[in-house]
Amino acid sequence: MTKGIKIAGAVYILFLCSLPLAGQVFPVPLPGGDVIQPFGLFNQFFPGVGAGFDGLNADPHGINNSRTFVAMGYTAGAATDGNGKTYNVITDIRVYQGDYIGAVSTYGGGGTTSAKAHGTFVEI
Amino acid sequence: MHDFNPGITPNGVFWIVQIPDDAVQITGDTLTIHLQNIAVTDQLQFGGTGNAPASVSFDITYTKSGMPRRVRQTSSDPLSPFTWAGKMWMATNTGTFSAAYNDGSFAATGSFSSSGNFGEMGTERNGSFASEKDDDAGAKSLPLQQGQVQAETRMNAAEKPVLLSNLPLLKGRVPIKGFPLRSAP
Repeated sequence: MTKGIKIAGAVYILFLCSLPLAGQVFPVPLPGGDVIQPFGLFNQFFPGVGAGFDGLNADPHGINNSRTFVAMGYTAGAATDGNGKTYNVITDIRVYQGDYIGAVSTYGGGGTTSAKAHGTFVEI
Repeated sequence: MHDFNPGITPNGVFWIVQIPDDAVQITGDTLTIHLQNIAVTDQLQFGGTGNAPASVSFDITYTKSGMPRRVRQTSSDPLSPFTWAGKMWMATNTGTFSAAYNDGSFAATGSFSSSGNFGEMGTERNGSFASEKDDDAGAKSLPLQQGQVQAETRMNAAEKPVLLSNLPLLKGRVPIKGFPLRSAP
């Protein structure tokens, strides 16, 4: 291989490395969260006032490094299945829409690259 | 009891799935979300080992009210619940839903309301965004489209968030966490 081809190859590799990443940007969870025994840490807080909640201003988000619109609320309701059996329903459904810095799988072996992206998420 | 959720990812993202941007509409004081056939599993109990493939659909309207409160970052401890900033309103929500096993052996429909329970909506910044200046335009003026990638920095595998297992007790209190479907007594 000539010296010129080697240089051209090196420049091409550098060019490829400079291209924007096209992979999915996976969100990264909050580093903190609530501990629920016997399961351990859940990377989520539970805003609210009173026993069992984390306080009025506890972070309602489940994704770290985010700048988003957030909506959440604890609910109660009822449901009926196909056999007519009734159920009590409790939900905590949260919606997140905006920018976040997540992780793109890169280089193999579990390596990741941080990347900024826009997305909409729902916590069910 | 039934507990429908999309699971926890290996890096700890809790019961969260990405959805199309247009599934959510934000207009004035309301946010509406319309989702159909989101893949979940029924764990049959909170944290259970059940794994019945299922799907859920729901429509929810969140409505904010009153005056907003400005939330300031009051802790630098990354494990604290108070490391974020934003502008939040109290909010209520109501919705309808359906859930069904993929094999057709179970299906249910219902409705719910947050009446009397805590709810909020607004804009927030956490993590590396938390120290940014307040901007009421917030998330509604974001330049990127879904899936678009802007910046990149290297991070190796050793920096990946730790998994749930084998963790010491860190902090927080046992929450009153909802079970999406629970049998009536």
